[in-house]
Amino acid sequence: MSAVSEYVGNIKEAVTSIFEGMAVTASHFMRKPYTVQYPDRMPVRVQDTLPFRYRGILEVDLEICTGCLACERACPIDCIVIVVDKDPLTRQMLLSQFDIDIAKCMYCGLCSEPCPTGSIHHTTEFEGADYSLESLIRRFVKDPVMAYKPKKGPETDPQIAPILNRGMTYLDQWAQPGGEKPPAEEEPA
Amino acid sequence: MSTLHTEEMTLNMGPQHPSTHGVLRFVVRADGEVMREAIPDVGYLHRSIEKIAEKVGYHGFMPYTDRVDYVCAMFTNQGWGMACEKLAGIEVPHRGEYCRVIAAEFNRIASHLLSVGAMAMDIGAVTPFTHAIREREMINDLIEELCGARLTFNYMRIGGVAWDLPPGWREKALAYLDHFDPILEEYNALISWNKIYIERLANVGVITPAEAINYNLVGPNLRACGIKWDIRKDMPYSVYPEFEFDVPIGDGHWGKLGDSMDRYVVRIREMAESSKILRQALQKIPPGPVLAKVARNFKPPAGECQIRLESGRGDMGWYVVSDGTGYPWRVHVRTGSFAAMGIIQKLSAGLMIADLVTLIASLDVIAPEIDR
Amino acid sequence: METLVHNLIASGAFGKNASPHLVAAIVVFIMSAVVFLGVAFPFAGIVSWAERRVWARIQSRVGPNRVGPQGFLQWLADGVKHVCKEDIIPDESDAPLFKMAPYLVMLAFTLPWAVMPFSSSLILADLNVGILYMTSVTALTVVGVLMAGWASNDKWSLIGGIRSAAQIVSYEIPAGLSIFPVVLMTGTLSMQGIIRAQGWAPQHWFLFANPFTFVAANILYISALAEGNRTPFDLPEAESELVAGFATEYSGMRYLFFFMAEWGNLFIIGAIIATLFLGGWQFPHIIKSVVAMNILEAITFNVKVLFLVFVSMWIRATLPRVRIDQLMTLCWKYFVPISFVNMIGTAVWVAIWPDGNSLMRYLMLAAAIALAAVFTQRVIYYLRRSRMEVYFNPTI
Repeated sequence: MSAVSEYVGNIKEAVTSIFEGMAVTASHFMRKPYTVQYPDRMPVRVQDTLPFRYRGILEVDLEICTGCLACERACPIDCIVIVVDKDPLTRQMLLSQFDIDIAKCMYCGLCSEPCPTGSIHHTTEFEGADYSLESLIRRFVKDPVMAYKPKKGPETDPQIAPILNRGMTYLDQWAQPGGEKPPAEEEPA
Repeated sequence: MSTLHTEEMTLNMGPQHPSTHGVLRFVVRADGEVMREAIPDVGYLHRSIEKIAEKVGYHGFMPYTDRVDYVCAMFTNQGWGMACEKLAGIEVPHRGEYCRVIAAEFNRIASHLLSVGAMAMDIGAVTPFTHAIREREMINDLIEELCGARLTFNYMRIGGVAWDLPPGWREKALAYLDHFDPILEEYNALISWNKIYIERLANVGVITPAEAINYNLVGPNLRACGIKWDIRKDMPYSVYPEFEFDVPIGDGHWGKLGDSMDRYVVRIREMAESSKILRQALQKIPPGPVLAKVARNFKPPAGECQIRLESGRGDMGWYVVSDGTGYPWRVHVRTGSFAAMGIIQKLSAGLMIADLVTLIASLDVIAPEIDR
Repeated sequence: METLVHNLIASGAFGKNASPHLVAAIVVFIMSAVVFLGVAFPFAGIVSWAERRVWARIQSRVGPNRVGPQGFLQWLADGVKHVCKEDIIPDESDAPLFKMAPYLVMLAFTLPWAVMPFSSSLILADLNVGILYMTSVTALTVVGVLMAGWASNDKWSLIGGIRSAAQIVSYEIPAGLSIFPVVLMTGTLSMQGIIRAQGWAPQHWFLFANPFTFVAANILYISALAEGNRTPFDLPEAESELVAGFATEYSGMRYLFFFMAEWGNLFIIGAIIATLFLGGWQFPHIIKSVVAMNILEAITFNVKVLFLVFVSMWIRATLPRVRIDQLMTLCWKYFVPISFVNMIGTAVWVAIWPDGNSLMRYLMLAAAIALAAVFTQRVIYYLRRSRMEVYFNPTI
């Protein structure tokens, strides 16, 4: 008799479980698809929907780069090449080359962490595909520029101040070792 | 009448296959549908990550640990962080440990979602996979706000974590957990208790507890055999002792103890347990720093250390030998998937070819973790 | 169809010395071309697009919606792409058999359209063995699939082909046995005869005539799905195990032929169930004009068939695949005995109530409505619980 009850039980289980499964999928017909129809059927550019901490393609704000080479040392793949020398005439540090090979970069963020001013930072840009490999080496220095010297007080130059502000806001996102910074809940976004 | 001449087929379930989880190869000797043996062939994804550690140094190795197991990147990050902290005697701040646990448990849910979804797809049901991936995408959105990346997180550092929780993130995470718990039940109604699915999974690839221990299985594979062993409870680390959660084990309800259905259900239940841990962690998280002060050129004292943690695939072991310089002398990772490959050859005798796919999926084998 | 042609010949529309056989043959030829090229093949293509859209909504995705309005021309784009592909014939394969296999499968798909009852007069040939012809001709798929599996000279394809042969041949039995209750109730095998024996109202359909035919309808539907290689029975082309099963070595248009036959078979499955159990093209006589009635009847038939096609796609998206030994167990241990019980039960029923029992009809109809109500309640339960955004619009 138990064989018959097992037989009937199998049929009953099959029918009820498949019924439930079909009800679940039927309920999905009435739900909004989760797909984001990138890139054209979106209300805003997708780069503007990404969070501030998004680790996209690297960018360097040369106006506030101090030439300290902390990012070059921190990079585990050696994709950053910086050439900075002391200019004999003006006795200032002169940046003559700042190349980042974004083909090698693994978007880990280890370079933007030690930057003192936040000049090297990740953007929300991720569309870097191109036909030539050379275009993937981003050369940020066109003509040799002077490295930035951070001032003791607030920055007074009206052109550099907003850039420095943005850089420091970017750096504020990172955790400070030892906790000199108050926790994030008390800070504005 | 003379006996009919029959031959065994040797098939190649090659490195490019829709359902070997990653780049794996099996040489299958089959007699029609029934297999005699499935010999695994690993190594297609070997990238010498352990050797790379000796070149890039302690801080620089953290992004490479993401690639050891890319669906469980938080756990590998945590493992490397814990190993270096043990070498140098660094203590992670309390809030940092909480952040680590929160990130790790979210990653565990994401990893298990991928595992159960891919398993359903290998069995033939295409919908549960997309639902699982949709949930995983929501977790990825949360983690993207937290650390900026969706797969290779590089979230943790030696001494804590790199970013604190952004403002408003806790509420979003709790809202996600409120959304996730009913979805898990809906997922179960769709596929887990489906009769066809249970018939496909029950009694396939039965592993006895003795076999599981002998073959070094860990994680959900081990717990499905009825052995209650979870590093978070038995060798506690981080702040796991502060949370109340259960460790689900298999019970042989649908077939023999230790079959594929047990492994599958253990993963489903672990997701619910992780959700519990997350709620407690998000409520109890204390204020404070999240990162300890660690020197930029980190030189731990010479010596060796070994740590174990419970990753998505089970007991993950990190063994680091330091020689006092800024570059480790030797790093070794012991992962759960490597052991699981060993048992496939033994279990495959007598299974059908369709069951081999079920077996691989139920052991939750991830190819990069096998080969590193 | 036939009477129309004979009337036209008799009234001299084709000239005085027209040979009736020649005229009939040419007319049938033209009508067949219209049906195949105008209905069957476009349907097979369009259903591929429809299947992807239906699947996508079930899976919280969108599906093809770029090529043409709502992605409607996607199937044309796919067809053109496949035609432009390189025609690969493996070196070691059996080339004549390899090339012939898709055509045999296509043949099994096109032949049943000869007896497809679109409306009371739109049927190419009202054979008096209509339903028997349909089920026997769809079994030609076995030959094509086996040929494809063997001729590919690929062990994985061979496994797929052999599985398919076992599957289709096995599921012929419950399918045939489930047709017998209907034949017992009507006494005829002709498609139009079976449809005429039912009424337009649901309680007059054979589905609700007695519990045995209800179960027989379900078994016939599932067996027909199994014969059409649809999930949960798509082992021969089990994508996750055998890459593409028997069709692994095929590329380009040959590959597409296999799948056009599978998609087109959906219509045939739906048509069999609609004819036998759902009242076919029956529509209440509300208009005098024959042409208008025919149009309404054709629409009714198509609506019923397309609903069943939709259910097939829905089932394919929901259920996992069964294993080959479970497939055989299901067929021989569950479906065949139950089909025998159905047959005997219907025979007893017809002996006791030759014209059917209207109490049972209404009871069955009420039970079916209750089942639909329970289903709707479960759907609303899941919809409410999930807290996801509700969106009824099928276009996106």
